[in-house]
Amino acid sequence: MTLIAVRGAPRVNPVVRRLAGHVVRGLVMIWVVTTISFVIIRNIPGNPVLGQYETLIEKGMSPDEAQRATAALYGFLPTGSLWEQYTGYMKALLHLDLGQSLSTPGTEVVTLLGSAAKWTVLPVLGGTLLSFVLGVTLGVYAGIKRSGKLGDLLSISGSLLHGVPQYVIGLLVLAIFTTLWPILPAGGPVDVEFVPGFNAGYLASLIQHATLPVLTYALASYGGWVLAMKSSVATVLGDDFILAAELRGLSRGVLFRYIARNAILPLFTILALSLGMLFGGAIFIERIFNYPGLGLLLVNSIGARDYALMGGTFLVTTVAIIIANIAADLLYAVIDPRVRTGGTA
Amino acid sequence: MKRLAAIAALAAIATATACGTTETADTAGTGGIYTTIDGSKQIDATAPINPFNPQGSTFVGYDAMALAWPKNNLTDPNQFYPGIARSWTTTPDQGEVVVHLQPNARWSDGRPVTSEDIRTSIGLAYTQGGSAYTVNAGAAGAAADIQILDDKTIKVTQGANHSNVFLRNVLSTVVVPAHVYGSLLPAGFWTTLEAARGTGPAADKAKAAITGLAQKVITFAPREDVSAGPFVLERINPGAALLKKNPHFYDAARIVPDKVKVLNYTGNEQIWNYLVSGKLDSAPFTAVPAAVMAKIKEAPGNEIRKGYSPVAVSMAFNQARKPYDNVHVRRALAYLIDRNQVTKIASPEAGTPAVTTTGIHGSSAKAWLGDGLAALDPYKVDPAKAEQELRAAGMVKKDGVWAMPDGKPWKVRINVPASFSDWVAAAKSITSQLNDHGIEASVITSADYVLYLDELAAGKIDIGFWLMALGPSPYNIYQRLYGSANGWSLLAGQLRHSPPGKDGNWMGGPETIGGLNPGELTNRLNLASPAEQKRIVGTLARLTNQQLPVVQIYDYVNTQFVNTTRYNGWPPAGDESLRLPAGVWMQLGMIRKK
Repeated sequence: MTLIAVRGAPRVNPVVRRLAGHVVRGLVMIWVVTTISFVIIRNIPGNPVLGQYETLIEKGMSPDEAQRATAALYGFLPTGSLWEQYTGYMKALLHLDLGQSLSTPGTEVVTLLGSAAKWTVLPVLGGTLLSFVLGVTLGVYAGIKRSGKLGDLLSISGSLLHGVPQYVIGLLVLAIFTTLWPILPAGGPVDVEFVPGFNAGYLASLIQHATLPVLTYALASYGGWVLAMKSSVATVLGDDFILAAELRGLSRGVLFRYIARNAILPLFTILALSLGMLFGGAIFIERIFNYPGLGLLLVNSIGARDYALMGGTFLVTTVAIIIANIAADLLYAVIDPRVRTGGTA
Repeated sequence: MKRLAAIAALAAIATATACGTTETADTAGTGGIYTTIDGSKQIDATAPINPFNPQGSTFVGYDAMALAWPKNNLTDPNQFYPGIARSWTTTPDQGEVVVHLQPNARWSDGRPVTSEDIRTSIGLAYTQGGSAYTVNAGAAGAAADIQILDDKTIKVTQGANHSNVFLRNVLSTVVVPAHVYGSLLPAGFWTTLEAARGTGPAADKAKAAITGLAQKVITFAPREDVSAGPFVLERINPGAALLKKNPHFYDAARIVPDKVKVLNYTGNEQIWNYLVSGKLDSAPFTAVPAAVMAKIKEAPGNEIRKGYSPVAVSMAFNQARKPYDNVHVRRALAYLIDRNQVTKIASPEAGTPAVTTTGIHGSSAKAWLGDGLAALDPYKVDPAKAEQELRAAGMVKKDGVWAMPDGKPWKVRINVPASFSDWVAAAKSITSQLNDHGIEASVITSADYVLYLDELAAGKIDIGFWLMALGPSPYNIYQRLYGSANGWSLLAGQLRHSPPGKDGNWMGGPETIGGLNPGELTNRLNLASPAEQKRIVGTLARLTNQQLPVVQIYDYVNTQFVNTTRYNGWPPAGDESLRLPAGVWMQLGMIRKK
């Protein structure tokens, strides 16, 4: 942090100035998205209490029981005009109060989000990092050896997996490892028979249950990393400094490092954004593997017309993506001197 | 280095796999762990351990107990198995119900279950409203007095407006411990309740005070489960709940499993997976495609138990829309639908084709109507009769295709929620059959059930699928056809009829037909004597058969899955306990270890 005095006035560090700008823009963005999502959510057709009543009937409950089970839910429905609901919601939001859930009546939305977030982070973060490391490493090889058999093979594997929808990979993985070769559990985050804590059985069960979601996520996103890295490497290979390095007779290892470090720059932005997106959950993966993360929470909240929970889930996703955007921008400035404004390249 | 990392990762997974399948922190005893699912709700580990919360972390029949458990009787809604109530007596008009508790009943913390617990449970039920415990004193079947006769006996008296399902509603009371939940009822609660039964501003204030407690009761979160049932919650996570045996249960010797594991599910596919892998000892019915059903049957030990399920599927008309306001059109469609074919395609395991349209499930229709059933029009497939009916309605046939009386095209649109695969299949089969007979028909799906219901209520749908025949109470049966969906609703104990398009009236049928008011007759069913009930049911069945506000397509069959590998002693096919949770089967001494 260096402040340089120019004509007597202190000059603000460009990174700090940049960060402040991002934060202001981010707050405006959060307000805009929250307002839009509030209006959309309140206008989704469907009566949540009638929906719950008929769903209980459909599940075999008698009308009397279903009526008993849903009568008190009316107390959890928002009241007042749309404007009154909106101002109330925004005021509560300033105090980080997201309201109470309707589908889990009376439970704070913050509690539900906190509970779901931890189960989203494990498979999605694990899957993202695994696919990033694998994809980037193999992408460099695919770029360098793009006219060879290995390069072709890696490119084809990348294109193939990139083109297969996430839910197809999930169903395939599920069928293989839980039915054809049943070595891993089909659903849930951890076996309830284990006492939660830092003990071998519980941790092993956690890993067991997370394996298939992580694998699915990694396979589904691996192709994108390979192809992006290959393309980036191909661009870098044409740069003058690579030709200069070759002419200087630098070793292959050094050359590989030069290529990889320069080619990976654009991918860091995508990685940061992916990490932000992870709070949106992986809806298909969580549903297929009954993994109780944010994606599943969002789907269930929409199905139940749980306005407060829908709003809370959208908000978390929005904030995470905005933070990831800011982080990506700052990170890019840090790792690539050329994009630093006010600095010297 | 990378190779080493990969090997290390694989080794970790392999170790985890090996450890996870062998090491458990809580080993079960000789009774083993009974694995099942809860068909009524998905697990939410953040929900309080409170049976008043619809999503609560309690499980009916295991750690959530009622006074008694309803038998799946064809016609009598007041038949019950004992629960916390060992026995009960009632006056012939159900004016008084005296309940005798199990003498050995204890909570899982060792305290005895007493009449005070029941009184507290009833007080809490009043805050939720509905059935016997409503603060509206004029409502039929409202309890007027709760009296503790002794430590194990309690009397509940019905108000002046008698209902014939009062006993059922009293025995369905969910029981919670007064020493845990009692503090939720403020001092003077019973005095306030008494005041709420009156009229005027003071009564209104008292009513508001009682119903104002609803949210407090629903959100109450005891720190631990205190159960009077055979099990008590040990642990819960988003994937499953684990319940352990309650040593203080009044009939603990009958309970075989040491633990019960209730698995969570987010969709039917997960239940199919559990069933195919033979993981579940029992599971309530889930819609299953034929190919998956074959796989389930292949799994060692899997068996199916079938019984009576008082639910039927119908194709309901919006009679406010043309041409469905014309009974001849509705009859014509009924004559063109091959219900056997539809059922074979849509629900071969869990459905039987409707014998005809009566509004009642086929099994109980015989008991209710006797010989009268044969006198009704069976609406067998008959294109000639259908043509007669269409011509009687003024419909015209042009180039082999039926059109409206004014010559405009007639497009039959059948709506179903996209998530109900059996309904979608049934609707497709019906439209295919109608197309074969020159009626341009197609299926429209709504994104989800809540949206579908909203579209129905808004009157946007011409023809939609509708659940009906919800027995055994005859009022519940006909309330689906002549209740709020068709304009009749009870407001402060008074029946009123709303015009089509108002107050949820989407069926849009006439208020009276040939001098009969089907809504009034239906409402009378809750109050009538058995003989009068039978007469009214006969009248409504004939009216429904002639007027066809719906075409009954198939009656559901209660199809339960059981696995005989670890346990046996399941309820036999057709048993009256078959619709109850396995926890109740255990209470009845049915489940034994192999």
